[in-house]
Amino acid sequence: MLFYLLRRLLYSIPILIGVSLLTFVLFYMTSSPEQMARKNLSAKNPSPKQITTWIVKHGYDKPRSEQFKKHMTELFLFRFGKSDVNGEDIRERLIKGAGPSGMLGLAAFALSLVTTVTFALIAAYYRGTYVDGFLTFLSVFLMSVVYMVYIIAGQFILGKILKYAPLAGYTSGTSAWKFLLLPVIVAVISGLGGSMRLYRTFLLEEMGQDYVRTARAKGVGERAVLFSHVLKNAAIPIITSVVLGIPLIFLGSLLLESFFGIPGLGGLTVDAITNQDFAIVRAMVFIGTILYIIGAMLTDICYALVDPRVRFE
Amino acid sequence: MSSPLHSSDSASKAVAKIALKRYRLLSAAALLLVLAGCSNNPYPAGDTAKPVLYRVLTDDLKTLDPSISYTVDEGVVIDTIYPTYYQYHYLKRDPFVMELSLGGEEAKRETIPVSVIEKGKTVTKQGERWTFRLKPNLRFQDDPCFPGGKGRNIKAADVLYSFRRMGDPAIACPVLSFFGEKVLGMAEYSAHLDEVEKQKQQPDYNAPIEGLQLDPNDPYTFRIVLNQPYPQLRYLMAMHFTTPLAHEAVEMYGKDLARHPVGCGAFKLAELSPKQRIVLVKNDNYREDYYPIEGAPGDREAGLLEDAGKRLPLVDKVQYNIIREGVTSWNLFQQGYEDQAAVTQTNFQQVISSSNKLSPEMSSRGIQLLKTAAANVYYYGFNMNDPVVGGYTPEHRKLRQAMSMAIDSQADIDLFHQGLGIPAQFIIAKGINGYDPNYVNPYREHNVEKAKQLLTEAGYPGGIDSKTGERLTIYYENAGVTAAGRQSVALCVKNLDDIGIHVESRVSLPNIWQGKIDKGEYQFMRYGWFADYPDPENFVFLLYGPNKRPGPNASNYANPEYDKLFEQMQAMNDGPERLAIIAKMRTIAVEDCPWIYINHDEALTLSQSWLHNVKPHPVSNESAKYLRVDAPLRDKRQHEWNHPNYVPAILFFMLLIFGSAPAASVINKRRNRHVRRSSGGLD
Repeated sequence: MLFYLLRRLLYSIPILIGVSLLTFVLFYMTSSPEQMARKNLSAKNPSPKQITTWIVKHGYDKPRSEQFKKHMTELFLFRFGKSDVNGEDIRERLIKGAGPSGMLGLAAFALSLVTTVTFALIAAYYRGTYVDGFLTFLSVFLMSVVYMVYIIAGQFILGKILKYAPLAGYTSGTSAWKFLLLPVIVAVISGLGGSMRLYRTFLLEEMGQDYVRTARAKGVGERAVLFSHVLKNAAIPIITSVVLGIPLIFLGSLLLESFFGIPGLGGLTVDAITNQDFAIVRAMVFIGTILYIIGAMLTDICYALVDPRVRFE
Repeated sequence: MSSPLHSSDSASKAVAKIALKRYRLLSAAALLLVLAGCSNNPYPAGDTAKPVLYRVLTDDLKTLDPSISYTVDEGVVIDTIYPTYYQYHYLKRDPFVMELSLGGEEAKRETIPVSVIEKGKTVTKQGERWTFRLKPNLRFQDDPCFPGGKGRNIKAADVLYSFRRMGDPAIACPVLSFFGEKVLGMAEYSAHLDEVEKQKQQPDYNAPIEGLQLDPNDPYTFRIVLNQPYPQLRYLMAMHFTTPLAHEAVEMYGKDLARHPVGCGAFKLAELSPKQRIVLVKNDNYREDYYPIEGAPGDREAGLLEDAGKRLPLVDKVQYNIIREGVTSWNLFQQGYEDQAAVTQTNFQQVISSSNKLSPEMSSRGIQLLKTAAANVYYYGFNMNDPVVGGYTPEHRKLRQAMSMAIDSQADIDLFHQGLGIPAQFIIAKGINGYDPNYVNPYREHNVEKAKQLLTEAGYPGGIDSKTGERLTIYYENAGVTAAGRQSVALCVKNLDDIGIHVESRVSLPNIWQGKIDKGEYQFMRYGWFADYPDPENFVFLLYGPNKRPGPNASNYANPEYDKLFEQMQAMNDGPERLAIIAKMRTIAVEDCPWIYINHDEALTLSQSWLHNVKPHPVSNESAKYLRVDAPLRDKRQHEWNHPNYVPAILFFMLLIFGSAPAASVINKRRNRHVRRSSGGLD
């Protein structure tokens, strides 16, 4: 297993370099140092002198190859440098933002998983009954609603009309739950429909297998069949779809954080692209790639844990 | 085989039943606990009952460095931390009145001969020497950058240090162009620092500058010597760029001064949390400052003098919540958790009734509505160097005049600004000396027939070029990447299409578009200008020939007669003579028509009933220290407006419980069926 993981880690190095190179090329294809300077200088119409000074100060006057080499070296050492826009230390910003994003992401992720699997189990267990019909209708309805509507309706109904939770804001510590309540509910409900349908399909497929019939024939109770056999075997496709969402836990959710005032990392990449803050863009792409690689490795490990047929080779 | 199975099944059922009961009890208890803890108050309990002012910012601020910051949002925070020699009278308008802030006495302005080098020769010119004297007992805020953490006494050298820092090319001060070439020796100093920095050395802010002088006999007096008359220096001394700056803070924090301001204003920074909040608290070292004892006509009746003579600031803390979404901040305002809100497209229908007054819903809550005319101007600009739309021949002028008459400013205001705005007749905004409310620009009347006539006279009958027989096509360089931007472009295209001109929209991202404007790579564009100070010079200089790009003259307009008049009026004090010159300049610019004037903004602001002394200022950003909060009233209203409604939650959970009953029945039936079948099988 260790050898397998080491091999996967080594494979990730060219992936990281490749993704960073692609980002580097794309950024320079759509932008130039002069445009970046214009965007980030505060003067209404910066002078050519000010533009040149900014470019030199931020090192964008150097040859592209030299820039890329320096960027990659710094990134692999996790030295992200300072924001091109406001000079803020990027690592500090990431550490500050990862907490709220992680809190929101983890709570929403865990609760979503439990809720969707539970509903999928209920739907599968009651297949063909009114319960299944109702849950199918609910899933299709939830899938049909635009994400923004969940946010605005959630704020309006739970925050403004019923007044259960603050509309926006954040405090670290034990009071954080109050601010996370609304966005977590919105995240769970908005993701419920699609996942519930998907997991129901996985579960039903397993329920039609021979081993389930055998278990029932041997007198195993329905609950035991469902939890000990069906759920365990349906876990592989569920894990595949779930683990790929793990990077998003730490990278944050743009809309949720923006509407609910959560000071996370959700809008950081989009803002950086809008503001042409290349320093943040390259750092976020690098971290995102690492998280996806970790996610993929976790998926493999989980496969081995839930399915004895899977071996690391 | 069957009996153990049965017995264990029965036992597990019994256990499950007990567990289920406990689970339900626990769930009910948890629900009650959660409901009891529910509150939509985003602030710690009791905070809103204190004299705290809650305001909204729509995004993080890039910088709090007074030498760099140039946006209104940043100014709102910075100006309360970094006061200046002069400030604007909080209540008086039309004209704006300046008063001493850190200044101990009015600046003395003397005309003196100065020697300058022009084209390699030393010439003597008429210059100016301004003498300023600070109040002697001013202190910086307490900060670890000072010995013992105690803010030290502010001296004249601290103001000049600010000027020296602005002269550093690495700082990229956005207003350096206003005075950089006017202060004697400043240009040489900047060039020297540039050289030093190219050699990767630390800038030497002690290098001599002839025009910045300290008084050897008085540490609070300083002089600024200019190589030309420049009365606008007075206004610059009211901008945060000229605040006294502690060299200790610059040395200790370096670039982090952008996030660690050290000033001497009414407030000091207590918290800066990105994407979350900025908190300012009262600065204990703030000078003695009092609420104005007189105001503009009507201010007393409006209750704006109730706090006359009181020591400022009137609140202990100002919290700026960073809320990006307009819907969210509007909802928070409605719940009473924000003290002020802007009227935008999001809330306009809810705020303003059909009779253009505050809606009954808002009035019943005691909310006040205030209208402010901004000191700005929006315009369509022609590139005067362009062979088609530029130029100064009668035909070129007529083409621009025709386009001007085709543009419907009122439609623009109605469609995109909720009817708020003053159709602009000339460059100068309302409230600024030189603005004439009775003046009507002959080419700003929306008149399609007259426009067509002018277009024919310009050589384009029906929009067809009489020389080539082709339709006239104008390229409109714009940054309309948003829905509103595209709609605005569409209106312009339609207006010009009405007179037969085909407009081709060329859309770019804002910074790319800005680059094209700066390089003169455009034909027709839309632009805006926000005044830095309330002097007509800060508007009419936008058409001054020598100010063409990279200066502020984006149209590259140059008319020697206009330029001569500008040079005359620039150095004059306000008065009838200056107004007469401005009127002449207006006539020239209107006939040449390098711009199509669109509008001057008007903004509507809402403030809660517990917020007092609200009078938005079009130029000054230092309002926080004058505002007073009736905190007990706010606390009371917040409780009244925000009672959680538990009934729907209880009903929802009851529905879940009762709704699951038929499902439970199905489970039982299945289980029984399963048990019977398996029992039979096994037996």
